[in-house]
Amino acid sequence: MSSVFDRTASAITGLLLVMLIALLLLGHGMPVYLVNLAGQVMCFVLLAMAVDLMWGSAGILSLGHGLFFAIGGYIAAMHLLRTAFAATHVLPDFIQFMGNGGFPGWWALFDSSLFTALAVLVVPALAAFVFGYVSFRSRVNGVYFSIITQALTYTAMLLMFRNDTGFGGNNGMTGFHAIAGLPAGGGDAGVLLASLATAAVLVCLIGGRTLLASRFGRLLAAIRDDEPRLRFLGYNTLWLKLVAWCLSASVAGVAGALYVPQVGIINPSLLDPALSLEVAVWVAVGGRGGLCGAVLGATLINLLRSWMAASAPLLWPFVLSLLVLLVVLALPNGLLDMRNRSRGWMHSLLPAVGRPRP
Amino acid sequence: MSGSAIAVAGLTVAFGNFVALNNLTFEACYGQVHGVIGPNGAGKTTLLDVLTGKSAPRQGSVHLDGTIDLGRMTEVQRALAGIGRKFQKPSVFEALTIAENLDLALRVHRNSLLREVLARRADKDAAIDRLLQTVGLADRRDTLAGVLSHGQKQWLEIGMVLVQDPKVLLLDEPVAGMSDEETAHTASLVQSLRSPDRSIIVVEHDMDFVEQVADTVTVLHEGATLFEGSMAAARADHRVIEVYIGR
Repeated sequence: MSSVFDRTASAITGLLLVMLIALLLLGHGMPVYLVNLAGQVMCFVLLAMAVDLMWGSAGILSLGHGLFFAIGGYIAAMHLLRTAFAATHVLPDFIQFMGNGGFPGWWALFDSSLFTALAVLVVPALAAFVFGYVSFRSRVNGVYFSIITQALTYTAMLLMFRNDTGFGGNNGMTGFHAIAGLPAGGGDAGVLLASLATAAVLVCLIGGRTLLASRFGRLLAAIRDDEPRLRFLGYNTLWLKLVAWCLSASVAGVAGALYVPQVGIINPSLLDPALSLEVAVWVAVGGRGGLCGAVLGATLINLLRSWMAASAPLLWPFVLSLLVLLVVLALPNGLLDMRNRSRGWMHSLLPAVGRPRP
Repeated sequence: MSGSAIAVAGLTVAFGNFVALNNLTFEACYGQVHGVIGPNGAGKTTLLDVLTGKSAPRQGSVHLDGTIDLGRMTEVQRALAGIGRKFQKPSVFEALTIAENLDLALRVHRNSLLREVLARRADKDAAIDRLLQTVGLADRRDTLAGVLSHGQKQWLEIGMVLVQDPKVLLLDEPVAGMSDEETAHTASLVQSLRSPDRSIIVVEHDMDFVEQVADTVTVLHEGATLFEGSMAAARADHRVIEVYIGR
């Protein structure tokens, strides 16, 4: 197994550190759109890492991580709406339309930042636990599991589209006033959120790789390689998978909670299966396993998309499809394969006598 | 310790209309190597599936040590109770090294998954080194299991099962696809695994191999016992010859 800091991981960690320091020191002088772009990309990176934690290590592909991302986002939005109300005493539109004259009582819980932060970690994990327990216990595996995760996020989307579900329905929740005391949508809040998201990516990268290098990580690899063998060695793989699955959901929840304040709105479109599917594409293009590929893939594709959204928006689906084809045909494990590939080319260029013995 | 390790009584397993095991009674004793042979479809692998909990019987009972009812236990519980199985197709964790494969296979905290996950690697090293000697892979400790030859994978998997110190060791076609030299090595490996407190059940097509290692042979045919006794007697039995050569 690779160590926690192989060359790629060290390079990525270094770049992320530089980016974090630059944001903290120079962020206030940078163009706001650039800071926001960095912050949003980091949230997508975090989401991709959550998917890779399951897919790359345990071989379990989730096509429904948008659900956990959205749960984190909705929780953050509830906190921001409560604080906005405390400052302005104006109820959000959707609460007024529902005609109850105020927030449902239990929303008061989200006045507390600490409670909100805990909820962002715990609620997605709880949702994942319930779903994961019934699926893994019934030994739903492989493509069937992936399809059910997709159905799950789609069901959640239909539920959240309804106005009487109570979370703003189709229009979602918006109108945030302040983020940790900084005016929402302003440069300072942007720098704060982008720094937090970058720091979260760093923590997740280092923590995740440490975890994957541990015996727990090797057990996940064993599940991917041959789950029945592991079961007949006396491991109840249900619990191993559940721990990883819930952890992955929590990471996705954090990503959503940092994303929503940056874009200033959450609505059920985050639950659209298309987003969850695209996350799998980011990971596949970057390369599965070890979390580095997820960072690379999510960063590059989202930067490319953001650039094309301005220059050639209609071409984007074609570019994305081409990328998928390229990966499937030429780089089965994504951009991470380029390392081995380029080493191979170098070797073939070197004269045979000068080649180092393997 | 001698006496009954595995006792199967009145076992019937059916998949739809196909009866894989038909009212089978079977016993394997401690200190012995018990060979199970029979033509394709005789129910050999199904028997192992029932012992390990992979398949559920329609009728009948399976007991360990004469008293422990395996029928009520899950696959995981049976593995922890001392039933170790080597699969027909070599099943090792290809992305892990040989030592890492054995590290996962060796359980030092059988009652707690959490403590097992957190166990120090150093606590397992001595046992792993000893086992690498036994199966003859000591010089390949840090090789990825995925690059091993077919025979080496088989030995590694036997090692993974063995490191659990099972009471009952089930070997499903351990020499399938092996060269003569590898088969000979496997035969001496199985001989060296004999122990008064272990029962070894070998399912195999290779008659010569079974003759080398097994004390007793059970010949299965259409899900029932056709013959039980020594391999030499089995070779002479006209019913055995009939089902192998065909009517």
